[in-house]
Amino acid sequence: MRILLVEDDPVLGMAVRDQIVADGHTPDWVTRLDDATEAIHAAAFDLVLLDLMLPDGRGLDFLKRLRVAGDVTPIIVLTARDQISDRIAALDAGADDYLVKPFDLFELSARIRAVGRRYAGNPNPLVSLGDIEVDLAARSVRRAGRPVALTGREWSLFEAFVQRPHQLMSKPQLEERLYSFDAEVESNTIEVYIARLRKKLGAEVIETVRGMGYRLGPPEAGA
Amino acid sequence: MNEAVGDGRRGSGWSLRLRLGLWLALAVTALWLAAATVAGLVLRREIGEVFDSALQEVAQRVLPLAYAELLSRDGGSATQHMAPIGPHREYITYVVRDADGRELLQSSDADLMQIPRGLPPGFHSTERLRTYTEAAVRGTILVTTAEDLGHRRAAVRRAVVALIWPLVALVPIALVGVWLSVRLSLRPVITFRSAIEERGRGNLAPVAAVGLPEEIAPVATSVNALLERLRGALEAERGFTANSAHELRTPIAAALAQTQRLVAELPGGAPRERARSVAVALKRLSRLSEKLLQLAKAEGGGLLAETPTPLAPVLRHVIADIDRLTDRGEDLMVEIPPDSGLVCDLDPDAFAILARNLIENALKHGTPGTPVRLRLADGLFEVSNGGPVVPADRLARLIRPFERGPTGAEGSGLGLAIVAAICRGAGLTLDLASPIPGEADGFRARVRFAAVPQA
Repeated sequence: MRILLVEDDPVLGMAVRDQIVADGHTPDWVTRLDDATEAIHAAAFDLVLLDLMLPDGRGLDFLKRLRVAGDVTPIIVLTARDQISDRIAALDAGADDYLVKPFDLFELSARIRAVGRRYAGNPNPLVSLGDIEVDLAARSVRRAGRPVALTGREWSLFEAFVQRPHQLMSKPQLEERLYSFDAEVESNTIEVYIARLRKKLGAEVIETVRGMGYRLGPPEAGA
Repeated sequence: MNEAVGDGRRGSGWSLRLRLGLWLALAVTALWLAAATVAGLVLRREIGEVFDSALQEVAQRVLPLAYAELLSRDGGSATQHMAPIGPHREYITYVVRDADGRELLQSSDADLMQIPRGLPPGFHSTERLRTYTEAAVRGTILVTTAEDLGHRRAAVRRAVVALIWPLVALVPIALVGVWLSVRLSLRPVITFRSAIEERGRGNLAPVAAVGLPEEIAPVATSVNALLERLRGALEAERGFTANSAHELRTPIAAALAQTQRLVAELPGGAPRERARSVAVALKRLSRLSEKLLQLAKAEGGGLLAETPTPLAPVLRHVIADIDRLTDRGEDLMVEIPPDSGLVCDLDPDAFAILARNLIENALKHGTPGTPVRLRLADGLFEVSNGGPVVPADRLARLIRPFERGPTGAEGSGLGLAIVAAICRGAGLTLDLASPIPGEADGFRARVRFAAVPQA
């Protein structure tokens, strides 16, 4: 995805840009609103990461101008203003998501993935694993035709497995998916969530590779 | 604990209308009574003169008639009673006597009066009579006319009473008139008063001062100037809180993001673990700074919004947020009746902070596996969780900063202190109960929104 990053803090901007690159996206980083306006007119972006307080104006006004002009580019607001009224104002103005600083970079990656998915129609959003059917676009899971409710974190973990079928996932890799901010990732958190997924989706759905990590169970076993 | 804000908003002073009405009625009554007294005194003197003149007139008219009558009499000495011409009440009676005091002639009711003998000529007053005596024929014939003094007094009394009677009607009329006119002329003042009353809490809009009397208009100007200054101060404070939050968060965000990139880019081993622990410490720092900023806002003055807002949408936002951050949405049992559009002048951001802290506390300290129950209805916000009973003395201390309950869970120890500060500042009542009333254990926090204004 081509991502426009509008952030005036050089230290934070650099880290976010590197994270975007590491996730395999292409960032364009600007620090002022007029540069952002110029950039968005010059090129097509799949996503905008927008700081709200910039040296030459309010990000919220930029957001409103875009939406009034009919621009539907997905926008994630990054801001140090955490008041619920600011949040509601940004969402009302047409922001797709809202992330309060300081945020976890892995949470940012997850939000980028989610917003990207919401807009870019996945050519093959349905994945079948035995009697389990996963709709990556709708973030829904059905087991034997019946819908299964997953919490946000369960889904985040399960999605990592589905996107890399049969690939071994180490515990640290999985921990990064759990952008746990409020509750710190404790030593047994991954085990707890794997257990919850197995309970909801069947014991065979995730295989433990002793001393190495986990991987998606073979579809035959689930069938 | 129980913290209600007292409602001593009205003094015990009488209303201006009542005072004016009473004073005016008293003054009218006193003046009227004084006027009636003076009139009574004047009347008594005038009536006395008129009646005396009538007494004298009757005596002088009777004297020649009596003389002629006696001359024509043939020596008989019996008292002659003059029969009245028609039946009437005799106010003035007369008696004609000789020098020895024998009655020669008298009017029909004269016996009743018991006119004393030996009266000197001219006017004379006894205890109950006013008399006039005229002598003729060298003192051999004495004519005395008499009148009952009671009659005179009754006449004066009746006249004075007739003067006082209108007062009975006049006092209520004066009261009603005063009440009406004061009400009419005070109408702008009363409008002004209710406008100020409305501004008791969050509303700081300038008060309209249309049609105010000259005496009160400067009050309106001063009130508006004060409101303006208060508004400015509160806005500055809000701005300061928001700006310091911004200034504090940005460097922490930068440090955390850089550290996380470092973790991702370092090869495994000790350096990576070290960088990871820096990231953990930074997260802890950011949580603590967030709580301290919340406490600063809670203890500030900007806790009331100028316009009341519905709280349910704010609560839903907070719940969605907590679910995303903690993944515990499944453990929350939320009860918001669709018709409980609880509208409150509590600042939505303050309510969000209050709700977030109560819910996070309940999730953190509740027995794992038991749901946290949220209820926003009937002017109440309740958060209940399962868990061991907190002793009463401990309960009271929980609202102090850095005080913790019987729990091993990690927390800043500021959550309930923030909630309590918001309740104190916004005039809400916070009740902490453990065990949950009607249950064996658990913990319940309940915030009561006093006097919810329905918008």
